[in-house]
Amino acid sequence: MKTIVSAAALLAASLLAIPAPAANLVLYTSQPNEDAQATVDGFMAANPDVKVDWVRDGTPKIMAKLQAEMEAGNPVADVLLIADTVTLERLKEAGTLLAYKSPEAASYDAALYDADGYYYSTKLITTGIVYNTSAAFKPTSWKDLTKAEAKGLVTMPSPLTSGAALIHAQTLAGVGSLGWDFYKDLAANGATAAGGNGAVLKSVASGEKAFGMIVDYMPIREKAKGAPVEFVFPTEGVSAVTEPVGILASSKSADAAKKFVDYVLSEKGQEGFLKLGYIPARNGMKLPEGFPARDSIKVLPVNAAEALKTTDQDLKTFSGIYGSN
Amino acid sequence: MRGYVRPGTSQPAWLFPFVAIVVLILSVLPLARLAITGIAALAKGGVGAVLSDPALWSATYYTLVTAVLGTLISLAIGCMFAFLLTLTDIRAKGVLSFLFVLPMMIPPQVTALAWVQVSGPSSPLLKALHIAPPLGSPQPLYSVGGISLLYGVQHAPLVYLALRAGLMALPRDGVEAARLAGAGSFRVFRDIILPLSLPGIIAGAAISFVSCTGNFGIPAILGIPASIYTLPTLIFTKFSAFTSRTFGDVAVLSALIAIISVAGLAIQDRALRGRDYRVLGLSGATAAFELGRWKFLVQPPLWLCIFFMLVAPFFALLAGALVPAYGVPLTFKTMSASAFHEILFRQAVTRTAFANSLSLAAGTALCLLLVTVLTAYALTRRKDLLGRIVSSLIEIPYSLPGIVMAVCFILVFAAPLPILHVTLYGTIWIILIAYLSSFFAVSLKPVVSAFHQIDPALEEAARLSGAGFFRRLADIIVPLIAPAAGASVILVFLIACNELTISALLWSAGTQTLGVAVYNLDDSGSSDLASALSVLVVLMVVFMMLLLELMAKRLPRGVVPWRN
Repeated sequence: MKTIVSAAALLAASLLAIPAPAANLVLYTSQPNEDAQATVDGFMAANPDVKVDWVRDGTPKIMAKLQAEMEAGNPVADVLLIADTVTLERLKEAGTLLAYKSPEAASYDAALYDADGYYYSTKLITTGIVYNTSAAFKPTSWKDLTKAEAKGLVTMPSPLTSGAALIHAQTLAGVGSLGWDFYKDLAANGATAAGGNGAVLKSVASGEKAFGMIVDYMPIREKAKGAPVEFVFPTEGVSAVTEPVGILASSKSADAAKKFVDYVLSEKGQEGFLKLGYIPARNGMKLPEGFPARDSIKVLPVNAAEALKTTDQDLKTFSGIYGSN
Repeated sequence: MRGYVRPGTSQPAWLFPFVAIVVLILSVLPLARLAITGIAALAKGGVGAVLSDPALWSATYYTLVTAVLGTLISLAIGCMFAFLLTLTDIRAKGVLSFLFVLPMMIPPQVTALAWVQVSGPSSPLLKALHIAPPLGSPQPLYSVGGISLLYGVQHAPLVYLALRAGLMALPRDGVEAARLAGAGSFRVFRDIILPLSLPGIIAGAAISFVSCTGNFGIPAILGIPASIYTLPTLIFTKFSAFTSRTFGDVAVLSALIAIISVAGLAIQDRALRGRDYRVLGLSGATAAFELGRWKFLVQPPLWLCIFFMLVAPFFALLAGALVPAYGVPLTFKTMSASAFHEILFRQAVTRTAFANSLSLAAGTALCLLLVTVLTAYALTRRKDLLGRIVSSLIEIPYSLPGIVMAVCFILVFAAPLPILHVTLYGTIWIILIAYLSSFFAVSLKPVVSAFHQIDPALEEAARLSGAGFFRRLADIIVPLIAPAAGASVILVFLIACNELTISALLWSAGTQTLGVAVYNLDDSGSSDLASALSVLVVLMVVFMMLLLELMAKRLPRGVVPWRN
C-alpha cells in the first residue's frame, strides 16, 4: 500500500507542476491578437509587478464565454476591453461591473465615459467600406454595394460575431435612406455575412470578395504593409464604436484592474493605440497615418438606449436576412 | 492477511473496487449527467421545441453526408496504400508508410488551414506561381465536397492501419497454394486476399466514419464560412451564443452525435458478424505479389498522392506564414519572417499553448499509465459479467466524439464541486479529466494485450514464494509489459498533444492548447500567425514521429503503428 501512496503522491506532485495561470490579471478583449498582445506588453512594461493573461474573441462570443463562466460561478476575467458601450451598459445594469473613477478621465470628452465610472471609451473605430484594388469600380457610398457590378462580391462581418458589426447594423438600420431594406437589398445582391472583421479583410485582400464592410484600422494598416486594399469613408457617413474598458465586480484583483484602466486611458496607452493605427479617444491626440482629417469623417449617430433594448430583435432580423451565422 | 487478498484469486481486495471507482468517475458520471440534462431539456422545453429546430436537422444531414463521403474517400485511399504497401514489392515502403500516416497525427484544423492555402484565389502558393483563380472566385473547399475530401485525407491512415493489421496476418501458404493451383495474381487477390481482408476494411470504415462524425477542426474552418454546420460545429456555435437554454440544447445535440456514432459501430458489428476468420499457417504476407514492370505504373500515383496530401499543403502553409500581408504575392522580395517572429517571441499565447499541450499530454499519458496497468491486471484476471461491463464502460467515452465528452464534463463540473467548493470549469483540470476519460481506452488496449501474453504461471510461482502484490507487480509484471506500456504512453501523448475538439469547449484564459491557439488565430483573421504556428506544430509532430521511428528498433513489433 505504501508504494501506491507514494506513487500517488509523486503523481500529484508532477501534476501540480502543470503551469496554472500565473497571471494576476485576466483581460477579455476583442482586439485582434497582435494588438491585444501589444496593449498588454505596453501595460506590463509600465507595471512590471502585474502579469496579464488575455483571451481574444469577437465581442458577442467573448460575452457568451463570460456568461457561461458566470453561470458556472467562476468568472475568470477581471477587465473587459471590448467593442461597444452598449454591451457594457447592459453589464452595468445587471450589476456585474465595478465603478472606478479614473483620474485620467479629465482628459476625455464627458460623452466618452460613464458618469458613474463603470466604463471608459478608449478609441474611435469607424466602420466603412474596403475594396480590393483590382475591383471593377471604386465604391463611394453604402448604396454602391447594391449595384449589379458588385453582385456576389460583397461580404460583411456578422453581428453575431462582431460587436462593431452589431452597432453598425443598428446604426444603418436607423438611417432613413438605408434601413433594414438596405441589408435586404445587399442579401438579394448575393452579399454574405460571416465571422468577424478579420475574416472580411482576409477575403477582400485575397480576392475571394471584392468589397466588404469593415472597421477602419485593419485595411488602412494592411495597405501600408502592401496588401491590395483601399478603405473608403462612404458619403452617407460611417458608424462608430469606442472600444470601452470596464472592470468586473467579481474581480479578485481590482487594484491591478484599476491600474490597467488608468494605463489604457493614459497618454502613453493612447499613443500605443495610435501606433497600432487606431484613432485615440483622448483629447489632443494625433490621428494615425492614412486617415483623413478628423472633422471630415461623418459619424452617424446611434441611440444607445434604443440599441440596448432592441439588440435581441435586431440580431433576429439580421439572422432572418442572412441565415443563422 | 485476511481480507486483504480475495480468496481464490491472487489480486488484492481493493484492486477491483479501485478500478470500478475510476471508471465510475471517468465514464458513468459524465454520461449519466448528459442523459439527465438531455431528458430534463426534453421534458421542460417540450420535445417539439428542441427537435423542430431546422438548424438541428440540417446539421444532422450535413454530418451524415460529409461523414459517409469522407469514409468512402478514406477507404479508397487507405485501401490502395494498404494493399500496395503490404502485399507488393514496391520500393521505399518504410518512407511511404511513414509519410502516409503523418496526416493522421497532424491536428485537423492545421490540415484544413493548409488546404485552404493551396486552393482558391487566396492561395499565396498559387499567387506565387501566377495560377490563382480570378477575383471573386469562391474558395472551392468551403463546401460539402471540401469537408468530405479533407475527412478522407485525414482518416485514410486509420483505414490503412486497420487493413494493414489484417493483411499482415494473412496466411502466406493460402496464397502459395492458390498460385501452385495455377491462379493468376488477380484471381488470388479476388478470391483469397479480398475476402480475408474484409474484416479489416470494415473495421477501418467504421473507425473512419465515427472519427468523421466527431471531427471539429475541419468543418470549423471549412464549413462555418459557408454556413455549413455539422453537429460538432453547431454545438460550438451554440456555446458561442450562450443563453439559459444552451446546456439543454447542447445535451440533446450531443446525444444525437452519440446515436450516429453508435449506429455506425452497430453497422460494423452487423457487417463483421460471421466474418471472424481464424487463419492457420504462416502469417506475414511479405510481398505476395511481384510488381515487375507494373512498378513504374504504380509508384508514381502513390508519390503523387503523398505530394497532394502532404507536400503541397505544407508548402502552402509555409507560404501563408511568409507573406507580409494578405493578398500580397509571395516572392523572394516580399518574403518576411515577421509572422514567425511575432508568434515565437511576441505572442504570449504560443508559449502558454505549447506548455499546456505538452504538460496536458504528459499528464494524461502518465496518469493513464498508472491506472491502466492496475485496470488491465484486474480485468484480465476477472472473467465475470462485472468485468465485462467495466471494460465496455471504458470503451464508450473513446468511441464517442470528443465534443460529446467535453459537453458531459462541462455539465458535471459547471457548478462548484460539493463539499470542496472548488470550480473546475475554466481551469486546466477539467481538460485533463476529459482527456483521461477520452483516451483511457487508447491507453488500455496495448497493455491488456500484453497482459494476455504473460504466462500466469510466472506470477503464481512468485506468489507461492511469498511475494506480495506490489512485489509481483514490480518484479514480474511491469518488466514484462514495459514495451507495451511505453507504446501506450507515446500514443496517448501524440493524440493528446494535437487535440482540439475537447479543448475547444473547455479552454479558458491561460489554458489554451495548441489546437485552440491555431483555431483562434485563424478565427480572428490572423491567418499568417495561424499558419506560422501550424508550421511549428507540424515540425513538432514530425520530430516526435521520427523519434519514435528511431526508437522502433528497441520496441517490440507492432508498437510503432506504421512500421512492419
